Amino acid sequence: MLLVVEIAAFSLRSPAFLSAGNISNLLAFTPELGMITLGMTLLMTAGEFDLSVGSVFGFAPIIMWTLYNTHIAPLEVGFVVALLFAVIVGLANGWFVTYLKIPSFLVTLGMLLVVRGIALYVTDGFPQRTWTADAPLMKIVVGEFAIGDLYIYASLLWFILFAIILGYVLTESKAGNWIQAAGGNPEAARARGVRVTYTKIALFILTAVLSAYAGITSSIRVSAANPNSGTGYELEVIAMVVIGGTALTGGRGTIIGTVIGVLILRTMRNGIVLIGVPGLAYNIFVGGIILAMMALHSWLERRHHAGT
Amino acid sequence: MPEELVRMDRINKFFGRVQALNDVTLSVNRNEIVGLLGDNGAGKSTLIKILSGALPADSGDIFVHGNRVKIRNTTDAMALGIETIYQDSALISQLSIARNLFLGREPLKSPRFFDRLDQDTMNEVARKLLKQVGIKKEIPPTTPISALSGGERQAVAIARAMHFESELIILDEPTNNLGVEETQGVLRFVRGARDSGHSCILIAHNIYHVFQVVDRIIVLRRGKTVADDIDPKRTTIEAVESIITGMPISA
Repeated sequence: MLLVVEIAAFSLRSPAFLSAGNISNLLAFTPELGMITLGMTLLMTAGEFDLSVGSVFGFAPIIMWTLYNTHIAPLEVGFVVALLFAVIVGLANGWFVTYLKIPSFLVTLGMLLVVRGIALYVTDGFPQRTWTADAPLMKIVVGEFAIGDLYIYASLLWFILFAIILGYVLTESKAGNWIQAAGGNPEAARARGVRVTYTKIALFILTAVLSAYAGITSSIRVSAANPNSGTGYELEVIAMVVIGGTALTGGRGTIIGTVIGVLILRTMRNGIVLIGVPGLAYNIFVGGIILAMMALHSWLERRHHAGT
Repeated sequence: MPEELVRMDRINKFFGRVQALNDVTLSVNRNEIVGLLGDNGAGKSTLIKILSGALPADSGDIFVHGNRVKIRNTTDAMALGIETIYQDSALISQLSIARNLFLGREPLKSPRFFDRLDQDTMNEVARKLLKQVGIKKEIPPTTPISALSGGERQAVAIARAMHFESELIILDEPTNNLGVEETQGVLRFVRGARDSGHSCILIAHNIYHVFQVVDRIIVLRRGKTVADDIDPKRTTIEAVESIITGMPISA
């Protein structure tokens, strides 16, 4: 609803908004943040969240390109190593949260600093070259093709595929039932034989791997692996997920809601720039929307409870 | 001679230096409803937690159908047919009735693409079960638990225990926080459970409720069994009260 109003409003104010060039632009970047939000949606539904996604987003492509540029390994191997690294980060996050019972806020905040620190240390703060490579892998991940005037990146198709699969997992599968139960009432879920710890660790890994994949996608598209890229993404991602209706306290969340949340925030950023609001004012709008959404949620909740 | 279903033999449990259970023995027969009574701190909950796998015993044996068993966690207990319904029902309030009923034992549908849930079966069975446990209102099985009343939640928990053919259903204070009518509903389920071949252990503060439904009363006091064969039809509430408190019937 909000999304439709938003698109309509921007289209009226600025004819450029609906131009093929702008839509291509919008659809190029959206999948990268979007992939992270998919993992985050499942993780938050299970009652945890991950602040280290932005760092993993920045560091994974650095691993891949450093290995490639120093001729240690071919690109494909670098790709696999980068994803394996993400698995380890997710495993570590999950282990700290479930076995040591440290809140995910603290664990993943620590991981954010560690991973970002490694990225800066390894590269001395300089971006890694990526334009020398030309591998089929790059085409598969972000190859672009045109439909009329519209340029589409393959990353959009991957995003749609991931969204469909994870949406299916959350609502139709046994894993989805466990994810919601783990976030809703972990003690009760455990008492029913749900493997809560296992579920949460798996979701930490999934989120980290999707972040790494998104980071690699981004590095190929912009032809640079910058150790600072992805800074601040964690909060934007969480904002998108929350706007999409996932409860910050766990137990409830939908993939379709998150996809809409992603589109709302991305079109908003794009649109307010086009209608002439300074880009720096973007955060005012994001913050405003989050507050408004939360107010709406709590109002609906209260009305619902008054009814029973 | 009635057939013995579960037997807990000389169970001991310490919390630090405090002995919560001292050589407690408890047995439940088939189709028998046992009331477990005792004052606060008598060890009722500890005993039940050991039987349901939530706490380990320090010593003592548990037999099911005469076979010695090890109950390490709640999954073990459920596999042996022992189902516990706690005060807070242990339901996930965000999930639907059907999803709660099958949580941890979900029916799957082929093709098994990512363990697909068989939601039609889940909803179908849930609808039938709700009728069985006496919910007359038409509640769709997709309703989240958070929209149900306290009694309806207990009913869902009991339905779950009955569906998975638990031989022994343990109800820990099932009537707390329930209205009069809902309490009657729960007590009716307990009577119904015996008729459909289940055994029950009923723990309640309210002796009147226990008297209404059980076949036999066991009393714990300070971690010891002080009575294990009280027939509610041949005794008075006052007499049982005096056993619970350990004081003679006062004038």
